Amino acid sequence: MKIVIISLIGALASIMANKGIAVFNDGLRPIVPEHIEGRMSRKELAATSFAMSFGLVIGFGIPFSLTASILLIHSILLGTDIIGTFSPDGKKGLAISGIVGALYGAGILLGLESVVKAFEMLPVNFMGSLGEVGAPIVIAFAAFPALATGYQYGAKKGLINLGFSMLARQIAIVVSPLAIGAVSINVNPEGSALIVGMIILIIYAVREKSDEEAVDLVSVFSERVKRIKKNVPYLIVMGALVAAATSLNLMAGDPISLNLLSEGKNIDAGFAALARGIGFIPLIASTAIATGVYGPIGMTFVFVVGLFIANPFVSAILGGLVIGIEVLFLDKISKLLDKFPGVRKSGDNIRTAMSKLLEIALLVGGMNAANAIAPGIGFFVVIGLYILNEIAGKPVVKMAVGPISAILVGVLANILSIIGLFTPPA
Amino acid sequence: MVKFVVGGQVEKQNIADLIKEVGGEDVEVTVKSDLQAANDVKSGKADYYLGACHTGGGGALSMAIALLTRAKTATISMPGKPPKEENIINAVNEGKLAFGFTGDHYEKAVPIIVREILKK
Repeated sequence: MKIVIISLIGALASIMANKGIAVFNDGLRPIVPEHIEGRMSRKELAATSFAMSFGLVIGFGIPFSLTASILLIHSILLGTDIIGTFSPDGKKGLAISGIVGALYGAGILLGLESVVKAFEMLPVNFMGSLGEVGAPIVIAFAAFPALATGYQYGAKKGLINLGFSMLARQIAIVVSPLAIGAVSINVNPEGSALIVGMIILIIYAVREKSDEEAVDLVSVFSERVKRIKKNVPYLIVMGALVAAATSLNLMAGDPISLNLLSEGKNIDAGFAALARGIGFIPLIASTAIATGVYGPIGMTFVFVVGLFIANPFVSAILGGLVIGIEVLFLDKISKLLDKFPGVRKSGDNIRTAMSKLLEIALLVGGMNAANAIAPGIGFFVVIGLYILNEIAGKPVVKMAVGPISAILVGVLANILSIIGLFTPPA
Repeated sequence: MVKFVVGGQVEKQNIADLIKEVGGEDVEVTVKSDLQAANDVKSGKADYYLGACHTGGGGALSMAIALLTRAKTATISMPGKPPKEENIINAVNEGKLAFGFTGDHYEKAVPIIVREILKK
């Protein structure tokens, strides 16, 4: 069942990339119409797509998938972007991208499983310690609405938000489980902090008034909006598949919910994915309207469905519905955003805050994990590699340095132990 | 006086501050939404657009590509591909008006772009 779902996702995503219906990489989206409208060759499109996405699959998607043993969606959908753009035009391209995409999906799943198994058989088994990479994220993620507030409205308002969020977290711990009559409800601490933080951010954001005339995106690009709406059936099927796969704990949409999911905290993961999705609405809506190309998983709310609903069939139905609604109301959503420029801006700030938060949390997590694998060597190697990456002009995405270094320390510990230079901690 | 607008998605204020620091009296910088910023260049209210996002091309440049066409835009860094000085020099000399890079690389990209533009 798992293999079938992942293969179908791989096939459909590749076909959508091939036909220019949807691509996952936000950077690729504006390039796709250049090919569709005949200003760019297939070859050039393929080269651009490879340049944009390959590094992220290797440096971002795969390391996160390995540390949590759950697939990060980037490792599949960045690959299918490449497969789809490399396949030729026409019916032949449809068949090729479908078949290669399906094989790729299955290959990623089996590959991940076999790497995890192979790691477990090594003399120094570091898979348990590798899980430490996500430990700081699991708590710290709830701080990001406060950080986004800080980016948008200054450190003082950010601090106020952080204070209230923390208070909400502690109150949730004290009152939980909440007894109402015979029912007792577990109040989730991080979820409460996140919700309070988001509410404060949104209150600030909707109060912001526009001081400049808005460009009416929808009327400038009405043909392109029509094109997306025409392709809604593909997107609905994709949304259903991804929501089902998420509810089976097969995949997650971002590093935060991935790590929460691997700790079995589905509800927290759902809240984190929901808040992240809100941050992505302006970006996905505006790039989609301007290009006529959608994202294969849209505004990422399909993950929220999968995380909150454990039944894969119910998830599939709701997931398809959610992405369908997104597409049908795309122009309405965009017009609404024009009325609240603060909300559009907070999308940017939410994403900035999340990546800063991940950078720190994953660096600390990577250090802790590496040091649990090989005490002493861990701190030495991770800090060393982090700063060397800075010196080298950041060839590796900053937030992936921690997880990648931790995996390297695990491999290194095994090599050193084979040649007798390292004794694993008891 | 060269007029810059900062669009894109991430590190906007830092990019604007850095443009001001490098360009000093010769530049004017405003931070806007990516859409407004691209529109300003299109309508001649601004001369150059700079923007960053996580991929160097998506949030950073999509509006600029849509409004100014891809021929006027250049992606000068991507994840895992730090900016190269000669590429930036070429892009500026080819008459590109909008530049996109990743948030990771803005500290390296912005000074070169601004310096080359001011040389013109």
